[in-house]
Amino acid sequence: MTEDWIIQTNNLVKKYGEHVALDSVNIEVKPGATGLLGPNGAGKSTLLKTMLGLIALTSGGGKVLGHDIATEGAKIRQRIGYMPEYDCLTPDMPAIDQVRYSGELLGMNPFAATQRAHEVLEYVGLKDQRYRTISTFSTGMEQCTKLACALIHDPDLLICDEPSNGLDARSRKFMLDTLFQVVKQGGRSIIMSSHLMDDVERICERMLMIHKGQVIAQGRIEDLKAIDREIEIFVWGGASKLEQKLKDMGQSVRRTGRVMRITRIDDSTYGTIIEAAAQTEVQIRKMQDYEPSLEDLFIVIMDRLGYSVKSSSDLLEGATPAMDNAAAIQGRKVA
Amino acid sequence: MNEDDSFDLGDLLGQPEAAVPDTSKESEFLGESGLSVTGKARMEAAYGTDDGEGQDVAIVAQSATSDAGTIFHQVYRPWRGVLNPRWVRNWSILRHHVYGLFTKGHRPWPLTSKLIIVLILFGSLLPIFSLLLAVLTNIEFLMEFYGINRANLWGHVLGTFHNTCCWPLLTAVVVGGLISEDRQHGTSAIYFSRPVTRTDYTLMKYISAASILSLVIVISYCAYFAAGIILNNEGWAFLLDTTTYFIGGLVAAIMLVVTFTSIGLALSSLSTGRFFPAASFLGVIFGSRILAFLIQLLFDRDTMYLLSPYDNLAHTGQWMMGLNPTYDFPVAWSFVMLLVMNGVSLYVLISRVNSLEVTRE
Repeated sequence: MTEDWIIQTNNLVKKYGEHVALDSVNIEVKPGATGLLGPNGAGKSTLLKTMLGLIALTSGGGKVLGHDIATEGAKIRQRIGYMPEYDCLTPDMPAIDQVRYSGELLGMNPFAATQRAHEVLEYVGLKDQRYRTISTFSTGMEQCTKLACALIHDPDLLICDEPSNGLDARSRKFMLDTLFQVVKQGGRSIIMSSHLMDDVERICERMLMIHKGQVIAQGRIEDLKAIDREIEIFVWGGASKLEQKLKDMGQSVRRTGRVMRITRIDDSTYGTIIEAAAQTEVQIRKMQDYEPSLEDLFIVIMDRLGYSVKSSSDLLEGATPAMDNAAAIQGRKVA
Repeated sequence: MNEDDSFDLGDLLGQPEAAVPDTSKESEFLGESGLSVTGKARMEAAYGTDDGEGQDVAIVAQSATSDAGTIFHQVYRPWRGVLNPRWVRNWSILRHHVYGLFTKGHRPWPLTSKLIIVLILFGSLLPIFSLLLAVLTNIEFLMEFYGINRANLWGHVLGTFHNTCCWPLLTAVVVGGLISEDRQHGTSAIYFSRPVTRTDYTLMKYISAASILSLVIVISYCAYFAAGIILNNEGWAFLLDTTTYFIGGLVAAIMLVVTFTSIGLALSSLSTGRFFPAASFLGVIFGSRILAFLIQLLFDRDTMYLLSPYDNLAHTGQWMMGLNPTYDFPVAWSFVMLLVMNGVSLYVLISRVNSLEVTRE
């Protein structure tokens, strides 16, 4: 195992009866910020619990921060800070006591935990509110308290489950900036599970996408985006004709209204587009290389797996739609 | 500056008024506000350094500009400390629950719970005051009634009064929310995402509850016995005579604490919130007794008392302290039933704690 990896798994399988929650998962996570993406029920929670060394595996194995996930769960959890998605705070406790107690549960002595609790609460912007009871906190402040609980022992790896869940724009920005600083300034690693592609793209250099218990994509986001370079054109008059013509000419086209994105095969693709436009007498008002977002990457990956999705919210927030091609998932790992 | 001149804080600080940021948007914490808060404006308002002449407008503290300096620097500070081993973590769980009764900074026990515990503790110490009264007045009847003997020691732990008004209520208040509130608020994630195992969690919750119950039940029992010796100025002979049944009572008290804690925590692990476990515990204790009593009245059979945790404890306690039993069935049945009740309760407790989730509840 290479020491550069903070997490490495080897054919990880977890079954609950007949249900396969994790199916031969092989992941390699390097230090830094990594986004964990996947639809509801994809196996994200099971994977997080596995990383925390909390569940018994059916087969396979792996290491987190150099510790075996099957036998060294306690050691792993000593070096990990976990920020749960759901409520995990005692409403009637002041924030300072809650954070201190979470440190004591890690084995910090009470004096060190108290001192550190003051530091981390200041770091997450709750310096003036640290003696207030948590029941009086806004959602943003609760999220920050959860982050403080996770950071109290200065963990090597921070696992954040939906850190910006329920936050307004301003609090969300603060939370993401804070997490970004933990990575850049603190030199710590983060695994961030989120439904919001923008959040992941803003914080993370790498991503890990799982679906139906299988890893369907992993690696640097920039590298993954480079899989399909596209040319974006804005057309006027006869967009459907042009789309059809391009498809007839063997091009791969994605279209939303009068905006089309054509997969760039090589430099000749530009000529092909212009030629198609000339033949169909359609105006091209603008042509540019398209800079794909993580959202686009997600759609492309899902499209390859046989899902017809318009946006990530189709899959991430709702029920998983039926596959167009059930067999498509087999052997179609992007990276 | 004369009295006609307008005066504001901007003049005092020598800073342009336009630079004061918009504070109309109220934000609750520094991270939300994006503003810098300095102490300078407040200091000027509180300890104005001018001569005080010509000031007809009150100085009101305002947020100053970011040029004046920023207090909130978000700097990540590493921590180089050492994490202690398992027993320190477990000790912190015990401390969190037990110290919470006495000081702030630990588990926030409701005020009503604290009051009830204090009242019950006071009630359990009443025999000491009665004993003191008997000694001071030297009335024979009172001495027999409150003095140290088998029946009185048994009665302190397993008597009807304490087991109707005190111990079940105490257990309901103490054990009620210990696990159910973790389930309700999701605080189990705080434990299990740390190197706290489910065994440690269950064990320390159990010991915490048992410690608090023991503080009242066992300590008051020992205090009563000690008071009997001290107030009557008893010697070694008395101590030798009474030690055997004192120890019998002590074991009975520990059995009561263990049984009530097991049943209470099992009920607490089944639910969310504080009320249901407390109410159902009282229901189990009183309901089984009332049911057995009614059946005895109707059919003249007392076997149903085997279903009552209290009566099993009382029966076993009578045997251990050498008292005549008030039940027709053998004491072995009661003892076995106690073991079964504890076993079932612990099984429920362990299986329910295993179902507590880290990622989702």
